[in-house]
Amino acid sequence: MSSQIWLGLVSGIAFGFVIQRVGATSPDKMARAHLMIEGAIPRFMLLAVLLSAIGLLGLLASGAGRTLIIPTSLVATGIAGVLFGIGWGLCGYCPGTTWAAAGEGRMDAVFALLGGLAGTALFAQVHEILIPLLHAPTNLGQITLADWFGSDLAAAAVLVAVFAASIFGIGMLWERD
Amino acid sequence: MDKEQLSPPYWKWVPAAFALAGIIVFVFATFGPPASSSGFVAVLKGAIEPFAPDYVEGKAHYRMSAGPGAWVFAFVLGMAIGGFIAARTFPVPVRDIPEIWEKRFGNSRIKRYAATFAGGFVILFASRLAGGCTLGLFISGSTQLAVSGLYFGVLIFAFAMLTARIVYGSAGKEGQ
Repeated sequence: MSSQIWLGLVSGIAFGFVIQRVGATSPDKMARAHLMIEGAIPRFMLLAVLLSAIGLLGLLASGAGRTLIIPTSLVATGIAGVLFGIGWGLCGYCPGTTWAAAGEGRMDAVFALLGGLAGTALFAQVHEILIPLLHAPTNLGQITLADWFGSDLAAAAVLVAVFAASIFGIGMLWERD
Repeated sequence: MDKEQLSPPYWKWVPAAFALAGIIVFVFATFGPPASSSGFVAVLKGAIEPFAPDYVEGKAHYRMSAGPGAWVFAFVLGMAIGGFIAARTFPVPVRDIPEIWEKRFGNSRIKRYAATFAGGFVILFASRLAGGCTLGLFISGSTQLAVSGLYFGVLIFAFAMLTARIVYGSAGKEGQ
């Protein structure tokens, strides 16, 4: 067995444990976040990204780590974002949390997981039709903020500022925390 | 009882974010960008391949995907194990139907399971179209300063908030 299996398994266990402890696997808490009743989960997500971006910058500066930028397709990424948001708002799960929530023993998450496998199967079936139709024509490539702001450091500073402002804004706008 | 109410068992968001960021940076160091919707493809590929190897070989989405035994496959299984361990050591009972849903739609399991099946279907279909999900595109992408992750992130939050308002209506506003 390759070490990748064990690294994946250990990383998954730690990740699943943390998102359960903060309440992100609870569709009740997720719905209350979406309804602007509780701000903790979105603030947790944004702060995790902010800290990871700084950590990754350090990692890359030390010559370690591996990155892979997913291309931006105006149409495909846009349609996918809209559809994903509708599904997320409806069920309160995202792909990662369904696994941890199913592990918790939530039966509704087991059905979300089964639905997810069915949705994956359908996409795999129509990949050859949809990618050339929706993804390829407006594919802007693997663009990052560094392409807009000149350097990784400047781009990271912009990201940190915007995310910090959003975390602060959620604290002000969401009714309770 | 009172004591338990005074100290809610959920971790506070700031230390939890530090913990998660530590895990994410560890994953970048030992594997690459973390992802979970790719885990669905790997599981499916592993399930279909023994019965229909020609179908899997003929489909680009499975051809470009990792299979069972890959990091993404182990990661999603690990998340289920992590969720299992966490729930066994947590005072809040696990529910099959969330409270807020029950308040709005009653306690029909069929209705709730149909909704989560449909929701799961849509989020995975969309993730595969975009090339990632909340973790694989928004979190991993934004961590790498990718425009795709930020664009996707703005849309998923906006439309989830809009959808939740339509789904729950005023039920979400009542009580605690």
